[in-house]
Amino acid sequence: MPNLKHGAEVSILIAADKFSQTSPANGKRNWLGLKTLYLREIKRFSKVYIQTVLAPVVTTLIFLAIFTLAIGRARGSINGIPFIQFLTPGLIMMAILQNAFANATSSLMSAKMQGNIVDTLLPPLTSGELVLAYASGGATRGFVVGFSVTLAMAFFTPLELSNIILIFFHAIAASYMMATLGIICGIWADKNEQMAVITGFIVTPLSFLSGTFYSIEQLPEVLQILAMFNPFFYAIDGLRSGFIGYSDGPILQGIIVMCLVNFALWIFCIRLFSSGYKLKA
Amino acid sequence: MSSKSNSLQTRSVVKSTNWRGMWTLYQREVRRYLKISGQTLLAPIVTTLLFLTVFSVVFGGGRKVGELTYIEFLAPGLLMMTILQNAFANTSTSLISQKVNESIVDTLMPPLSPFELTTGFVLGGATRGLMVAVGVGITLSVITPISIQNPSAVAFFAFNAALMMGSMGMMTGIWAEKFDHVSTVTNFIILPLSFLSGTFFPISRFPELLQMANNYNPFFYLIDGLRFGFTGQSTGSIETGIFFVIAVNILLWASCYWMLFIGYKIKD
Repeated sequence: MPNLKHGAEVSILIAADKFSQTSPANGKRNWLGLKTLYLREIKRFSKVYIQTVLAPVVTTLIFLAIFTLAIGRARGSINGIPFIQFLTPGLIMMAILQNAFANATSSLMSAKMQGNIVDTLLPPLTSGELVLAYASGGATRGFVVGFSVTLAMAFFTPLELSNIILIFFHAIAASYMMATLGIICGIWADKNEQMAVITGFIVTPLSFLSGTFYSIEQLPEVLQILAMFNPFFYAIDGLRSGFIGYSDGPILQGIIVMCLVNFALWIFCIRLFSSGYKLKA
Repeated sequence: MSSKSNSLQTRSVVKSTNWRGMWTLYQREVRRYLKISGQTLLAPIVTTLLFLTVFSVVFGGGRKVGELTYIEFLAPGLLMMTILQNAFANTSTSLISQKVNESIVDTLMPPLSPFELTTGFVLGGATRGLMVAVGVGITLSVITPISIQNPSAVAFFAFNAALMMGSMGMMTGIWAEKFDHVSTVTNFIILPLSFLSGTFFPISRFPELLQMANNYNPFFYLIDGLRFGFTGQSTGSIETGIFFVIAVNILLWASCYWMLFIGYKIKD
């Protein structure tokens, strides 16, 4: 805020100091504020839908094309399931994971870089309401992209839906997991480069290597055991069992892990906003 | 903005080439990406390794393409994909961010002719493409043995690919008005072409019609040519590839020159 008078700047900072409320000021939930912030998050990505929705759809279709063509006529199968059928749910989940993460991080990062994050923190929203709006915004993008990818794939490969409830549970749980993770990274990172490093070295590798493209039974023993501690694996495996009814790991365990991880990330996000970490000077 | 029109000179003020200006522009282009090497050099290396891992797990176990094992077939394709994507990214992001920041005038004001500007930008992008490729090549050679059958073919196709994408990125950067435009070109043209022009599988698996279309696809010749350099095996004709690639490069270079010459989207 270089163009503000010193006094104005101080009063904004003082006001901003109060943003980190843990309970609503007048004892009521600020539904209007919550809805406004959520809608802003949605408009932010839907305005550039070519880049945020269509591009991931095309990328996913390219993956489908590569694997279909590379396998050729010599159809491979994984535990009796045709490879392409095995692959499709993995690709859908990969798109969800990457896009739900990207939304929250890019929103927070650009607000921080442009110095207008204070406009979001100043209104009377509690930490819980901020987290709910940001996380839902990111989760909506993840879900919208996942849904569009599913529709697009349905043109090229037969999709069966063996358990709709499981599909919805894992799509939503994974979207929220990545959105809250995105909030944490977006608050922590000071530069766009740090964000690119997290995406390139952690999020993309985990979404590639956690069973998107292969059954983890094809991996060495050690990596199979590690997968049991990897929430990305449960998200991919769970969505796959929802679509084709086949899973590498136990389904119930996957549901429990996803709930616990989401709960922990949610609490962590609220505490970050309440403490003012990296947001409050 | 009348000063801008002076900057787009058709020839140098002093009658010789402005070597120092060109060298300075080139150095700026290189430093621009080296400063964030985690994002521009290391990240593409990690991505390529991911592809190698995924494809060797899925297609490992004795699958063959012609006389080559799948990994031998794949490695040169991944290398070329890296060159294509990174050389393009450098020039396009450099130009668009200068345009968005409105600092492009600082590049156009100095006494640099369109030829010198084109050379500085394109070589900067080409350097990034080749640097990332060397990094990827070294990493790949640790994991899988890489032999070079024909070093001059490797050098020719790698260098020409880097130039081609550098100038294509430059044209995109000049044309685009927002970051969105650049990412649209990247996501809908560059990525699909670099993925589907024979990087991961032989072109013969394509439907007949697309195989014919590939005879006019410079990306196909680049990937095929580099694979020939490494393994000695190719699907298309190498001579055709060489001529085609040179012709495309001359055309693209001339287009960049022409865009700067008339001040397209840069001069009001």
